Amino acid sequence: MKRIAIALAFGASTVGLILAYSTQARAVDEPENVIKYRRAVMLSMGAHTGAIVHVAKREVSFVGQVAAHARSINAMSKLITSLFPKGTGNDSAYKTRALPKIWNDWAHFAAAAKKLEAESAKLVEVAAGGDVAAIGAQLGNMGKACGGCHKPYRAKLK
Amino acid sequence: MGLWRVAVATAVLVAIGAVAGFATPGLARADQATVARGAYVVRAAGCLVCHTDAKNKGAPLAGGRALSTPFGTFYTPNITPDPKFGIGAWSDEDFARALGQGVAPDGHHYYPAFPYTSYTGMAARDVADLKAYIFAQAPVARANRPHDLHFPFNVRALMGIWKMLFFKPGRRARDPARDEAWNRGAYLVAHLGHCGECHTPRNFLGARDEARALAGNPSGPEGKKVPNITPHQRDGIGAWSASDLAYFLKTGFLPDGDVAGGAMTEVIEESTSHLSDSDRAAIATYLLAQIPVPEP
Repeated sequence: MKRIAIALAFGASTVGLILAYSTQARAVDEPENVIKYRRAVMLSMGAHTGAIVHVAKREVSFVGQVAAHARSINAMSKLITSLFPKGTGNDSAYKTRALPKIWNDWAHFAAAAKKLEAESAKLVEVAAGGDVAAIGAQLGNMGKACGGCHKPYRAKLK
Repeated sequence: MGLWRVAVATAVLVAIGAVAGFATPGLARADQATVARGAYVVRAAGCLVCHTDAKNKGAPLAGGRALSTPFGTFYTPNITPDPKFGIGAWSDEDFARALGQGVAPDGHHYYPAFPYTSYTGMAARDVADLKAYIFAQAPVARANRPHDLHFPFNVRALMGIWKMLFFKPGRRARDPARDEAWNRGAYLVAHLGHCGECHTPRNFLGARDEARALAGNPSGPEGKKVPNITPHQRDGIGAWSASDLAYFLKTGFLPDGDVAGGAMTEVIEESTSHLSDSDRAAIATYLLAQIPVPEP
């Protein structure tokens, strides 16, 4: 009986430790590293957008690949709000262009991120049509959605 | 978006005007073609960017936008054709003198926050078309707010001396040694589009330093740094192609796929995205033909 109690206690504390560790693993992400990761995700979206720009400008004929880029942007857009934990603005000790206004204005910020999700999803649809002019027009709408955050929430380059 | 907002606001104002029994001066009489050309000039000249208080949902061209500068805060005036609060009582000569000489109908000098130092080079026809367009819009009865400037810039009379020192009035002459695209680009960049008003650094008296034309302004509008747009490889736009530039002015996309924020977004939405492809290409031709200027 006593042995069972010890085993149970041991098991419970092990499970507790594992749970504690796993939740802590998230909490211990250094803000500096979150910022680096965030920048990598943002750059990936920019790179896919840049690829679509080359198609929209008719410099290359990879119209059939636009949807793949748009899907990637759409997937990344869903991560945006999670990439901005508190303490990762440019009022922290770290080098970033994220303005503190993001956290004072969170509902609006989240809505702006949602807008990019919607516009990139629409670009996926438009891309299926293969019409370069239509892709260019929807790319413009998506660009406005990018600007929807970059304009109010990103500091200018020094 | 910008155009849509203007269209809706204009429609609403016209409706209000009609209900209230206002006359819309010139709307019926104006030469349609002149007004249509003026609609293009108003875009190329970027009038809406400053003369609309978009942040506070102000009516187009009714002024009131705050422009904070190292010299104080300017509040842009109402340039709708309201005879009392706007410019509805101005003659063609008054309008041409304001743009070309920086002088108000009552004779006072304008501050160069109003870019007459650039508009002075405007073609007479563009000035006339612009006035026709503005006078075909609905008047808005919104009173102007006085500027809030630091001493000695608040002494308006000193502007006369400033103009003697720094202002060279005169229309732009075509450079016969250059092609059509370069000349059109020069006109759009240096005069109508007044790019140098933000992109050229200023001296301590607020005059543009033309030796460093378009080489960026460390303290531009609203205290923001404005980038160098000379074709310098490291500090400017030397790595950009003409098509990169034209596409940026159309859509706001940078060559790396990033989307800029800041004041240029407004300029693109309200002005350059409405230009013709050939005008955007001309701007790119001219800018990339400039002498590259490095950061100091």
